[in-house]
Amino acid sequence: MADKKKRDPVELSVFQSLFHSIAEEMGAALRRTAFSPNIKERRDYSCAVFDGAGEVVAMGDHMPVHLGSMPMSVRIAIDSLDLAPRDIAILNDPYAGGTHLPDVTMVQAVFLRRMRKPMFYVATRAHHADIGGMFPGSMGPCTEIYQEGVRIPPVKFVRAGKIDASLLRLILANVRTPMEREGDLTAQLGACRIGALRLEEMVEKYGVSRVRNNMATLLDYSEQFLRAELGRLPAGSFCAEDFLDDDGAGSGPIRIAVTLRLDPRKRRAEVDFTGTDPQVDGSINAVYAITYSAVYYAFRCLLAADTPATAGLMRPICLVVPKGTVVNAHPPAAVAGGNVETSQRIVDTLLRALAQAAPDRIPAASSGTMNNLTIGGIDPRNGNSFAYYETIAGGMGARPNADGLSGVHTHMTNSLNTPIEALEYSYPFRVHSYSYRKGSGGKGKFRGGDGLVREIELLADSQVTLLADRRRLQPYGLSGGEPGASGRGYLFRVDGRAEELPGKCTFSAGAGDRVRIETPGGGGWGTESDRKSD
Amino acid sequence: MRIAIDTGGTFTDCVFLRKGRLEVLKILSTPANPAEAILTAVRQIDPGPQVEIRHGTTVGTNTLLERSGARVALVTTRGFEDVIAIGRQARQNLYDWLATPEPPLVPPELRFGAEERTLWNGEVAREVDSAELQSLLQRVSASRPEAIALCLLFPFANPSNERRIAGALASLGVPLSVSHEILPEFREYERASTVVVNAYLAPRMGSYLRDLGQAVDSEFPDARLHVMQSSGGIVSAGLAAREPARTILSGPAGGVVGAYQVARLAGFERIITFDMGGTSTDVALVDSKSNGGLGTTNESVVAGHPIGVPMLNIHTVGSGGGSLAWFDEGNALRVGPQSAGADPGPICYGRGTRATVTDADLALGRLDPEFFLGGGMRLDEERTLEFMTRQRDSLPDVDAFAIGIVRVVQTTMEKAIRVISIERGHDPRDFTLVSFGGAGPVHACAMARALRIPRVVVPRFPGALSALGILLSDVVRDSSRTVMMAPDDRRLEGAFRDLEKRASLQMRAEGWKGVGFRSVDVRYVGQGYELNVPWGPGLLARFHDAHRKRYGYSDVARPVEVVNVRVRLVAPTGSVPLRRRSPGGKDASKAIVKQRRAWFAGRRVNVPVYDREQLRPGNRFTGSALVVEYSATTVVLPGCRARVDGWGNLIIEVS
Repeated sequence: MADKKKRDPVELSVFQSLFHSIAEEMGAALRRTAFSPNIKERRDYSCAVFDGAGEVVAMGDHMPVHLGSMPMSVRIAIDSLDLAPRDIAILNDPYAGGTHLPDVTMVQAVFLRRMRKPMFYVATRAHHADIGGMFPGSMGPCTEIYQEGVRIPPVKFVRAGKIDASLLRLILANVRTPMEREGDLTAQLGACRIGALRLEEMVEKYGVSRVRNNMATLLDYSEQFLRAELGRLPAGSFCAEDFLDDDGAGSGPIRIAVTLRLDPRKRRAEVDFTGTDPQVDGSINAVYAITYSAVYYAFRCLLAADTPATAGLMRPICLVVPKGTVVNAHPPAAVAGGNVETSQRIVDTLLRALAQAAPDRIPAASSGTMNNLTIGGIDPRNGNSFAYYETIAGGMGARPNADGLSGVHTHMTNSLNTPIEALEYSYPFRVHSYSYRKGSGGKGKFRGGDGLVREIELLADSQVTLLADRRRLQPYGLSGGEPGASGRGYLFRVDGRAEELPGKCTFSAGAGDRVRIETPGGGGWGTESDRKSD
Repeated sequence: MRIAIDTGGTFTDCVFLRKGRLEVLKILSTPANPAEAILTAVRQIDPGPQVEIRHGTTVGTNTLLERSGARVALVTTRGFEDVIAIGRQARQNLYDWLATPEPPLVPPELRFGAEERTLWNGEVAREVDSAELQSLLQRVSASRPEAIALCLLFPFANPSNERRIAGALASLGVPLSVSHEILPEFREYERASTVVVNAYLAPRMGSYLRDLGQAVDSEFPDARLHVMQSSGGIVSAGLAAREPARTILSGPAGGVVGAYQVARLAGFERIITFDMGGTSTDVALVDSKSNGGLGTTNESVVAGHPIGVPMLNIHTVGSGGGSLAWFDEGNALRVGPQSAGADPGPICYGRGTRATVTDADLALGRLDPEFFLGGGMRLDEERTLEFMTRQRDSLPDVDAFAIGIVRVVQTTMEKAIRVISIERGHDPRDFTLVSFGGAGPVHACAMARALRIPRVVVPRFPGALSALGILLSDVVRDSSRTVMMAPDDRRLEGAFRDLEKRASLQMRAEGWKGVGFRSVDVRYVGQGYELNVPWGPGLLARFHDAHRKRYGYSDVARPVEVVNVRVRLVAPTGSVPLRRRSPGGKDASKAIVKQRRAWFAGRRVNVPVYDREQLRPGNRFTGSALVVEYSATTVVLPGCRARVDGWGNLIIEVS
């Protein structure tokens, strides 16, 4: 580690903090100014700071699924648009820098005086509660991306500080809740501007070369952490597979396969997804950016919690992701669920492989689904249309040192729930239960965490869409632990009929009907007989 | 006589007026029973009859931090018993799957559901019937709780079900915390958390204040005992015992009020307080020019528990003078969050072996070994240099190491101040930094420079500022309710009157007459965050204005809704005549006690060391300089101009 001695340990620490502070401030601004509960209450957004080459140097502690994929938005904005000072690009096209359509990303280039090329970039991404398409909430069971919503390729949304009003009108004409969308998009713009302003101030204070040098150092520094870790893992090839239940459009189980090749001597790793099933009709196809994020996340978790999340971290990792598969889909595959469901399964598969290399550091499978629930209709109290979207947490897999946590978001998401009282004020719902699903965690020396039960009575005719997985196949246990319980969904009609819901479905329901979602528990770790009595 | 007593970890500070003069008494704390030190102090002060004792207590905070509170039973609407544990369903550590957070204060076997339901509009969808009441009572009673928390859904829209159940539970004879009384506001998890914390603290706080009250009463006829709230207002000990959730930041709130009052007297209305202690640092922003008072938040989180009652907006970071320096695996220098604490303490105290911020300050010559704690403790400079040389890793020398530690910790502090100022739409250039706590004044000038804050004030009694704040605080009763109405809804007036009636009855029963201040939490329809603005004509304009200021835009065309109504009843304490000190001319050289080699602006230079006790009002000097006093050292950076004002405050114009 000869190079590490050349770095100034103080500059490194100070600038890491300063860059992170900018990303956090952008996030605070976005959260405070956004309109939709999805952003301000659930915090489904991310903000990040990039160097002039588009490499991420700081990201707020927001959504892990955005980790690896934000840089691709910036990359495509750089490649396809000639961003000028005070321009801001917008995009959501999963096949051009996006992940799935509801995630709208904005990218601003930061120019300094007398410089013709941008020195830095800032970006914000937020999950919008509706982006048009066949189903309210834009997360429904589609088979082509054209059905999923309005697709925005990288285009200039703001030119020289002025919003392109026609573009905005075009977007708003295609979504169900235009007022809310406008508020949220404006909030994203504000957050970008704050990020750009802070970088300008930083350059004014420290000088451009010092800021840029420290960005470069920070990238090397993150790389160092992962290389040190890879140097400690055993050499070898570790294979694992896991499955999604189905695609919601008639398929059987969908295989995700990974081979992890660790080379501690060169301090490198190769992650190879060869053997993964081809892309499918249903919407659970993931684009490359998501697979990249999932891999990033898994390796990030092997490091100390405060390691900076920069692009440098991925330098020692080589990714092999065959095209045309569910982990690297081609157009026009539908992709809404790739971001939320397949991303989780990619992590599960990769952790299963990692557990062979480092059994005492990897937890059993967590619930492995975000249980995306979308409900849309007309609110009889005011005649306005509504589009409600939420994810429901499940059980965390048991850890090698402790039981898994219950009812908590794991891996690629960390969005908050909407308070029940906020929900009932804003939407025509009555919630009947929000509780732990007792006994759903897998048994073992350490038990998997329990899933959740959420039961909502609809007070108006509504279109309900569920996008969930782990309904048939269960979250796996490790080292002899039992799997967690799979999830379940029910529709209790007002006339007394009960229907069990498949994991991925959309249906009309009337006032008085109840939707009940029971989310999966986490897998157990170690054999039950070794459990200390509680 | 009125005595303010602030219990701290090491000292119990007392501030009182005797014959119109402010006096300070410091005695050692008695952590096992804080009341002992308080009684000792009051005896020493010998106040005579009708003494009013105002107390800043750490009993609540410590009980919460040590998790040594009561066995609490929680009663909720059936189906929502687990909400207190689920919280917001997010994990605290995004990338650490081995971390396990503290379990909730109420374990599953103490959570009970009641078959009942109230709706958002106050309609009761299901009343509690007597069979349900009977069964509930039995189940709760069988769990042998020491306190009970009751938090149903939508009790602020209609409290009838909650009242009915509370009435029944009262028969169990343990302290009962009821959500529509403590926090009648929406968002069930945050409300439940507040009510549970209240119940968790109630038995211990109750017996502590009762015992203290009786002890005081038996020795000092007609004594009254009052307690400082986290909101910066005083309440009766009786109310504090019933609603201890309001007292969690009792002491730190005193510090902020003290800083605010001292600064206001000195002519500065917009301040950022900077209280750097051994293990943590508290910062707060007070903008009395804009909002006419201290400003509070309802979104505090203490030790992981959301607390929804009003608190001063104090932001705490885990870095202080005792924070340890270390190098991480990528060779970056880190400071904290581990601290050397009191034992072993920094290297310079003689027992510690790992470098801390205080050691770095000493190594740079910015602390003086002879004048620490008024000379009561000598700092070991040689030992510090020796250990720091060994730990400096790749850094060329001790100076580079020490400067590094100081820069890293100051970056952390800077971040903390940014969070409360810039991130909330305030420009630090409009503020004055008021610095106290043992380590605050050492770093205050540097913080001010980094954030372009033009001025630093180090108050006259930086070590007793909390007690001073408590002495000067008004008596305050806050109440609120979620209404969710249009701003022109006629029912708002009634909602205000209800709150005012109840609060003033309560205050009058305790012998105070309060003046009411109405305000509302407002938002654009559909937003999830509210802004608090004063009630009255021009409300909408004020809201749009506040929104623009904080968030950068506003939209007068968008409909607005009133989420909460708030009433603050204030019984003013009246001004305390702080004494002006006799002036002493511009020349400060008489206060110089020595010269010291210290590191400033890239090299070691000789700087004068001033004794704070010998500085007179009117004295002026320019940095570099050190000012030493009993409880703190102030570093005046090169080019900064310091002066002493009429009250003995040190005012530093930062260049």
